[in-house]
Amino acid sequence: MQSDSNGPNTKVAGLNGNKHSASGKKPENDDELDEFEAEFEAAKQEVSDPLEGYNRAMTTFNDRLYLWVLVPVAKGYSAVLPEAPRRGVRHFFHNLLYPLRFVNNLLQFKIKNAGEETLRFVTNTTIGILGFWDPAKEWFGLRPHDEDFGQTLGFYGVGAGPHIVLPFFGPSNLRDTFSMVPDNFLDPVGQAKPIGQTDSYVAEYGVRGFDAVNEASLRPGEYESLKKDAVDFYPFLRDSYEQMRNKQIKE
Amino acid sequence: MRTVILSMIFALVFAQPSMASDQSEVKDIVERNIKIVIDYVKDKGLDKQTRNQKIIDTVVPFFDFDFMAKVCLGKEQWNALNDADQKKFTDLFVKRLQESYLEKLDLYTDEQVVVDTAKKVKSRIYVVTYLVSKGDRMEMIYKFKESGNEWKVYDLEILGVSMVLTYRSQFAGFLKSNSMDDLMKKLEQKGSFAVPTGEKK
Repeated sequence: MQSDSNGPNTKVAGLNGNKHSASGKKPENDDELDEFEAEFEAAKQEVSDPLEGYNRAMTTFNDRLYLWVLVPVAKGYSAVLPEAPRRGVRHFFHNLLYPLRFVNNLLQFKIKNAGEETLRFVTNTTIGILGFWDPAKEWFGLRPHDEDFGQTLGFYGVGAGPHIVLPFFGPSNLRDTFSMVPDNFLDPVGQAKPIGQTDSYVAEYGVRGFDAVNEASLRPGEYESLKKDAVDFYPFLRDSYEQMRNKQIKE
Repeated sequence: MRTVILSMIFALVFAQPSMASDQSEVKDIVERNIKIVIDYVKDKGLDKQTRNQKIIDTVVPFFDFDFMAKVCLGKEQWNALNDADQKKFTDLFVKRLQESYLEKLDLYTDEQVVVDTAKKVKSRIYVVTYLVSKGDRMEMIYKFKESGNEWKVYDLEILGVSMVLTYRSQFAGFLKSNSMDDLMKKLEQKGSFAVPTGEKK
């Protein structure tokens, strides 16, 4: 019955309890600090970052792009379009990525999730009017199961590789950058071409830009607030990204 | 053999309910305080300064801010400081944490907080909550430790990103090429870490 075989009061003894007695500083707290120091050291994920110089420069580039271009455009856009339709646009783009989620759920043997994704897609595309609305969640409690190829590779034990900040897309790593190729293949937007112009990327970038503006308009002030919290913004973004991805892969 | 059996009985009879009650007690702390904070945020009758003070007064008793400062800086750096500098660092860091928390609350619009479960992880209790806004759900985990019969938050994990871990690595990185004095100066300047944008809708 009891899954936790340890008693409730099991505590890791402070192995280094006496280490600091010589320095004469508050030895009574050291046990607890030692214990947590060990815990956080163990949880720390070393991020491989040989490209730090380039990554910092690209972070600055993306930062300017976001604050000087995307935010003003998003402001104008949200002045014209109320929040509800903008949320609809977000749902629409999310719904379009169904093939990507379906395939990657299957690749990770998450059969039930793949099935739920299918139910969601069918419901939202029909009753939800081309995905602009999410009745699958609102009415039937079916939550999305976001999976992409980077997570699939992580599921099979592929490591993150060096951290790479991509222009426009932001923080990534070697594994996730590579994964953009198959993901793009399963993304209808990635296949969007004006009729008769099979080698044109104008439509795709236009749609992606619109998606980015829409997304920014739904998150006013969030990025700015995060940035203010950081002591050093680049490593903050880098570590946050890698921690977040590891969590997504574990789920 | 007898002692083994006895201790097993003890463990079953006493440990299990007390663990469960710790968990529900901690979960209750989170639920209650989140409700109080949200009520203050929604109360348009309060001027901002009073509101912020009331919120801080609510939150302070169940956050172990002093310990967070220590563990974010890291044992080695912390032990290298004298008592006065330890206090100075703690004050500056805690003030920043609180300011940033209050600023996040300004972004609050229609979100609801759902307190999901409280789970025991070794000697800690993690309370999983979701910040739910129209269509979005963001996981936030409050991590509690017990110190002197009281359960207090020592770390906050948002979408898998641990606040303490990110501060630890930023501080360690910063101190590789800068002095502790530089760090204190940085902490003193409010919002100096980045271009302040101020405006928000």
